[in-house]
Amino acid sequence: MKHLKVSTVILAMAFIGLTTISCKDAKKESTNEDGHQMEASHDNSNDHQDEGSVSDTSEVEANADNTQKNTATTPIIDAYIQIKNALTTDSKDEAAKGGTALVAAFSEFDMSNLTGETHKEYMEIVESAKEHAEHIVKSPIDHQREHFEVLSTDINDLVALLGTEKTLYQDFCPMASNGKGAIWLSEVEEIKNPYMGSKMSTCGSIQKQIN
Amino acid sequence: MKVVKKIALVLLIVFVGIQFIPTSRNQSDVVPATDFMMVNKVPKPITNKLQTSCYDCHSNNTQYPWYNKIQPVAWLLEDHIKEGKAELNFNEWDDLSNRRKNSKLKSIISQIEDDEMPLSSYTLIHRDAIFSDTEKQEIIKWMTQLKDSL
Repeated sequence: MKHLKVSTVILAMAFIGLTTISCKDAKKESTNEDGHQMEASHDNSNDHQDEGSVSDTSEVEANADNTQKNTATTPIIDAYIQIKNALTTDSKDEAAKGGTALVAAFSEFDMSNLTGETHKEYMEIVESAKEHAEHIVKSPIDHQREHFEVLSTDINDLVALLGTEKTLYQDFCPMASNGKGAIWLSEVEEIKNPYMGSKMSTCGSIQKQIN
Repeated sequence: MKVVKKIALVLLIVFVGIQFIPTSRNQSDVVPATDFMMVNKVPKPITNKLQTSCYDCHSNNTQYPWYNKIQPVAWLLEDHIKEGKAELNFNEWDDLSNRRKNSKLKSIISQIEDDEMPLSSYTLIHRDAIFSDTEKQEIIKWMTQLKDSL
């Protein structure tokens, strides 16, 4: 009799264990599906946004460093620029918001068109960039700037890999990174330094124009 | 007086009670092939220093102190280790792409440089985990070389 009791208890526990495991799996799957749906709907809205703004730059300017005219990278670059602009005005909170936006932009990015080497490289860039964005969300401003250094390299590589429809400037600050120097990307020609902030706002130079 | 006694009793019960809540322990006998020491040629003094100062929270194997089984200390440790491993796990070094190795090394260097790591709450008890000035310079120099060689 005792044996029977023990074995029913064990059976019951095993049953509960199994059902909780399968519940977890089911949950995961559904969130994944949601994620995909979000990606899809987001893409549509992107296409709408871009129709107006792309056409004027795509044919006229054919100078220097032209990239592929890719509109899919726009939300990522916009979020990056948001962080950059926040750092130029020493605003930790705004930079954190930009970090959140960047993480969101990465998860909404549709990478179904990427194949082989490009996909691999994209994944490496994103893993790194996402990590830095997450740190920018939760760090004090001097740390935000350290993470922004590497993030800038990542985003710069991403632009080189996938292209953009935007005109960007690759700027260089020789004083950043403890005198080793660091680059950043800007949407405006005028130098506004995100590493030095308002202290030395105009420090730096344009290295290259993209598009 | 009665009230004080009652409160003390409740606290005691809670304290005893939480001792029964299990915590996961971060321990492993295997050093995987992806370990930082396995894939890099690390000089002996630096290996030792990394082991004592970093590996407790940044690897799959913690040398637990004697009080680690007492709650709520165990929770605190568990939390630190979880966070530490999420940030950087030396055991899984070679799983990282070069891009991320580079950025991890940059963080390692700057954290040691600014005395942010090891955490002061850790060195309070683990006095041998503290970096002397020479050790700091040595490790920063070596890590920088490794970073540049990637």
